[in-house]
Amino acid sequence: MDLKRLKKESVELQEPIEKCGVTASPIKEDLSHWKGYILGPDDTAYAGGKFEIDIVLTSSYPFEPPKMKFNTKIWHPNVSSQTGAICLDILKKEWSPALTIKTALISVQALLAAPEPDDPQDAVVAQEYKSSIEKFKATAKLWTERYAKEGSMESIQPLLDMGFSEEQAKDALLEARGDVQAAVEKLLSGA
Amino acid sequence: MRVQVEGWHAVGTWTWNAEDDACGICRLAFDGCCPDCRIPGDDCPIVWGECSHPFHMHCIVKWIGVQGNNVQRCPMCRREWQFKSS
Repeated sequence: MDLKRLKKESVELQEPIEKCGVTASPIKEDLSHWKGYILGPDDTAYAGGKFEIDIVLTSSYPFEPPKMKFNTKIWHPNVSSQTGAICLDILKKEWSPALTIKTALISVQALLAAPEPDDPQDAVVAQEYKSSIEKFKATAKLWTERYAKEGSMESIQPLLDMGFSEEQAKDALLEARGDVQAAVEKLLSGA
Repeated sequence: MRVQVEGWHAVGTWTWNAEDDACGICRLAFDGCCPDCRIPGDDCPIVWGECSHPFHMHCIVKWIGVQGNNVQRCPMCRREWQFKSS
């Protein structure tokens, strides 16, 4: 592993996330394991969300791509909704040692704005994207609200007023795909 | 006033004539050397591709090795990598 280069990359990535929408820092002293964050692009279902990315570097970096996956759950055709695995060419056979952790994170961010449903990582999500884009957007937005935002979901307040906990309310809303009435019924029948 | 020169020492400087400052692979300055070497100069030369992108020879040779039997591509522009004959 090229430690000199990684130290430079670490400095480059110290800018606040608001500046370029991505950030990362090493979580192990040997610089082999990093944690990154991506802001959801504006005007997408991911807007307002902050997504955590797990980054592992092999001893061959930068001659091999960084291994990246989402730690934050996300509804996207090219990301596994179960494991967070990412399908992106530059993280596989199109990797070049001229790319960096920062440029790779920016590419992942661009992927959020431009899904490739014909090269899916999650077939269920890709199917929904292709059969009903509106339904896909609604689910993606709910997942962003549920998993990628601090604080409450917009429609959660009525459920909190009824005495349900924030966790219960969020999960019920997610299952009911944002339909407050259905979420209430779900909670009441389950209780 | 008369000045008498009693001795002099010639000092030369050199630099690689690369258009970029730093190698696109290791990101270290061309006036230095690649991460595996300690002394800049002929032992750690710069090479150019036909596409005109320069790299430390040791860095680009490693990348070519990693690409195996696939088409060798320039890390910067992805054109097929050919060493530029000087």
